[in-house]
Amino acid sequence: MNKKIRDYTLTTLATFIMLIWILPLIWSVFVSLKSEIEVLAYPPNIFFEPTLNNFKDAIFGSLSIVSELGDSFLIATITTIFTLLLSIPAAYALARLNLFGKKKLGFYVLATQMIPPMGLVIPYYLILGKFGWLDTYHGMIIVYMTFSLPFAIWLMVSFMEDIPREMEEAAFLDKASRMKTLLYIILPQVKGGIAVTTIFTFMNAWNEFLFAVQLSGNKVRPVTIAMYNFVSVEQTLWAKLCAAALIAMIPVILIGIIGNNHIIKGLTLGAVKGGGRK
Amino acid sequence: MNTSSQQEKSFAILLVSPSILVLLITTTFPILYLIWSSFQNINLSMPLNDGFAGLENYIEMFKDKQYWKSFKLTIVYTVSTVSLQLLIGLGLALLVLKIPKAQWLFRLMAILPIVLAPVVVGLFWRTLMLTPDFGIVDFFTQSIGLGSYAWLSEPKLAVFSVILIHTWQWTPFAFLVLLASLASLPSDLYEAAKIDRASALKRFFYITLPLIRPVIIIIVIMRSMIALSAYAAIYAATRGGPGTATEILNLYAYRTSFLEVNFGYGSTLAVFILFVTISVAAVLYSIRRKK
Amino acid sequence: MKRKKSILKKKISRRQFVKNSVYTGLALGMFPAILTHSSDALAASFGANINWRQAEGSEITVGLIPAGYFKNLAAVKSTFEDLTGVKLNMEMTPPGQIRNKAMLDFSKKTGMWATNATDPMFYYLYEANGWVDRLDEYLENPKLTDKKWFDYKDIQAGWRGTTSVKGVPYGIPFDGEATCQIYRKDIYDKNGIKPANTLDEYLSNAQKIHDPKNRLWAAAVRGMKGAGQNMYIYPSILAGYGGKWFNSSGKMTVNTPEALGALDYYIKLQKSFAPSGVSNWNWPDLADAFGQGTLGSYIDANSTAAVINNPEKSKVIGKIGYARWPKGPSGKRVCSIWNWSFPINAALSPKDKVATWLFIQWACSKETQAATSHKFAGAYKRVGVNRNSVWKNPDFQSLMSKMGDNFVDTSIKSYNNDTDPDWRPRTAQWPAVGGEMATAIQAALVGEKSSKQALLDAQTKIDKIMKG
Repeated sequence: MNKKIRDYTLTTLATFIMLIWILPLIWSVFVSLKSEIEVLAYPPNIFFEPTLNNFKDAIFGSLSIVSELGDSFLIATITTIFTLLLSIPAAYALARLNLFGKKKLGFYVLATQMIPPMGLVIPYYLILGKFGWLDTYHGMIIVYMTFSLPFAIWLMVSFMEDIPREMEEAAFLDKASRMKTLLYIILPQVKGGIAVTTIFTFMNAWNEFLFAVQLSGNKVRPVTIAMYNFVSVEQTLWAKLCAAALIAMIPVILIGIIGNNHIIKGLTLGAVKGGGRK
Repeated sequence: MNTSSQQEKSFAILLVSPSILVLLITTTFPILYLIWSSFQNINLSMPLNDGFAGLENYIEMFKDKQYWKSFKLTIVYTVSTVSLQLLIGLGLALLVLKIPKAQWLFRLMAILPIVLAPVVVGLFWRTLMLTPDFGIVDFFTQSIGLGSYAWLSEPKLAVFSVILIHTWQWTPFAFLVLLASLASLPSDLYEAAKIDRASALKRFFYITLPLIRPVIIIIVIMRSMIALSAYAAIYAATRGGPGTATEILNLYAYRTSFLEVNFGYGSTLAVFILFVTISVAAVLYSIRRKK
Repeated sequence: MKRKKSILKKKISRRQFVKNSVYTGLALGMFPAILTHSSDALAASFGANINWRQAEGSEITVGLIPAGYFKNLAAVKSTFEDLTGVKLNMEMTPPGQIRNKAMLDFSKKTGMWATNATDPMFYYLYEANGWVDRLDEYLENPKLTDKKWFDYKDIQAGWRGTTSVKGVPYGIPFDGEATCQIYRKDIYDKNGIKPANTLDEYLSNAQKIHDPKNRLWAAAVRGMKGAGQNMYIYPSILAGYGGKWFNSSGKMTVNTPEALGALDYYIKLQKSFAPSGVSNWNWPDLADAFGQGTLGSYIDANSTAAVINNPEKSKVIGKIGYARWPKGPSGKRVCSIWNWSFPINAALSPKDKVATWLFIQWACSKETQAATSHKFAGAYKRVGVNRNSVWKNPDFQSLMSKMGDNFVDTSIKSYNNDTDPDWRPRTAQWPAVGGEMATAIQAALVGEKSSKQALLDAQTKIDKIMKG
């Protein structure tokens, strides 16, 4: 009984905090359902006649962001895939294998992420310009990988370090090859971590603005630039902006939901492993 | 065991090389270019002055009052937001840890602020939330009798507001990572502690904290880097204003390089930011793992 | 000649011409001939005595900002493509980034943008670096320009002045605006006041209608810091106080007594009559507040008329009045002088440069200006056309007068009488100087520094910038 009451109290408390936290988002949903003229009404009104026009405009209208969504999706997905392919093995090596100069190498990886992005715009513009890669998908992906790779490596390192050493030793006793150990023993253990890394890598590429603006152009238009369709020089169309912003959040949330399932699976496994099955 | 450890080494090198190679190729030129530029006079508005400047830019940087002001502000901003993110994130993670059934819901809600584009976050907070007499937050504070405040117009309040906005958006990151980490800790350690009648607080400080210390340090390093390079949200919210009250070093470097087209000096500022970041990170990194 | 004029005057439907062309094409029995003829017909409808197809096959990209006036241009771009056979890409870039992107492109000579919407204050910078071509060579070349048809002098004189460096044109203005008073006619009438003629009157008018308890703030102007934000209003006040940017020996001086007077006026106006968040407000925020009925008057660009008359957003349609800038103590009345103009990227190939010039001619021509404003099919009709002849057009005038009381008269008088190309300091260091002044003004407004100190600090910084 005691535990149940405790659970209920904790859940209520956590829910309350969470709701307050995402209040601005709840408010943007309201805004996106209002007509422009009501958005700025004061005192702010909670009761109004909702309309789906803003969403229609953002998808079908002249200010449609659909093609930009496609561009962002392509870039973010490929960036994430390549990043995962490169970072997970690297993280494993840095976290658990015996490698000379491991610590220094690890710090180098971390340090590459510390270059202020604003200082990178011009050099990258130069390089991409020289290769004719401005306003191309591969140009953007390469630039984004520069940021996501160190980030992903270090996230994965943290998660991999959590696994008890005994895992690999047990595998060795079973005469498993190193590659097999990595693939079949270690990776399932960090499923949760991989999911988290995937979500954040995807999201960083998705929401990036500074490089998106300067290095893309006509053919490649990430969705962060499309937001400005609604923040035109003359006025800000708040309702449509919120509608567009919410639509732009959907792909990432979907990835998050998919990832969530894996996190749950991974964590349940971990709990069982840690508690009993050994 | 010699062959085995050699095998291990070559395997490790195999795994790590692609990433290192990519990073070497893509970051070496830019950083060299940046350092080279910092020693040059590159000002687009006065092309005749362009040329080698030696240490001039660096000397000017140390004499620049705006730079020191920005530097102090950046430290305040970074330390505040990272500490808040960590504390709140950890607190929430511990809280939610005890309710495994509803965790997925909280994880989902937590992702939402991070997913919103920083540009939109800045704009949204500026106009719809914080504008005195027009925004929601102001509406609330007035309704509960706290009165109206010039959230983004009063210099000190503006700093508070941008810290608030940044913390709002990024705490969920610390929350999610810590939650994942805490949940994967082996529970037999806790069982042993419980049998020893250790109190919850003791369990936390002596078992949990040391175990998640590496994760915490990584979070601190990463969030600090993000805080240092924060641009889109602050720019949308205040443009570094009022005056220069919220102009963190990154924004100042941006203004110098792009708005004032003085790229040489802007590079100097950027190189210095890099230097400070690496130094601080190096210290944190060295205490990351107690072997 | 007369025949051409009569064709222009009649509103010819394209269908008519295509119909004629089809008959002609059938007669000739060749399909491609139909296309050539219809584009010939199009060319004829433009009436310029040049070969519009001399850059056929090129492809150019134009950098623009997401704004109604450019969106209208984008909507009619097929006219250009059919006319010239040049493929036209229009890239909408956020206004805060477009200058950076243009400068990256210019300075690294990547030739990504054939032309872009250019801020007139940047021409000195562009010219100093040799990034853009002299346009007099294009204007005087009979193969490229039919001078009579293009009628360069028909474009607003003040604007042409801002896009020229030392008398040589480097850009052709496309769309522009002037700042003026915008006020609630109904509120003014109710209180028996008329729009202010002097700066002091503006304050006293505000005093009469200021009622923050009932959510009506009397007056406001841009408070957001930025070369194009608060530094878009302050220079007019400065001019009103008789201030100048350069002293008699040509040195930029910003802490003169006139400057101090102007800054103090600005602060007094904002602090007494504007909502407290105004230091972070940009013109869309002012327009929004006015449209919601919470602002009694403001001074800003006449182009916001389109916003505050937008039934989707505004509650005050039909209650709006316009008047020229109030005079300052020196007796001077100076409004803003602003336009978006098109230069030619010097890094392009000769053929692409021709294609770009054709685009610029087309966009800034009388026909296209009309096609994107009073003849435009969509809801938004451009207000800031660049040509005196269009402003005199009765259709245009009747459309514009719907914007509010006295709109046309105020705009025309402001353009013709109240503009001064040197209203802001024209110099290659403008980006840095403009930014420093903007920061100083906002710092003084929020009380971070006294106005005297703010100007003094700005002067120190500007001295350093100008020395290089």
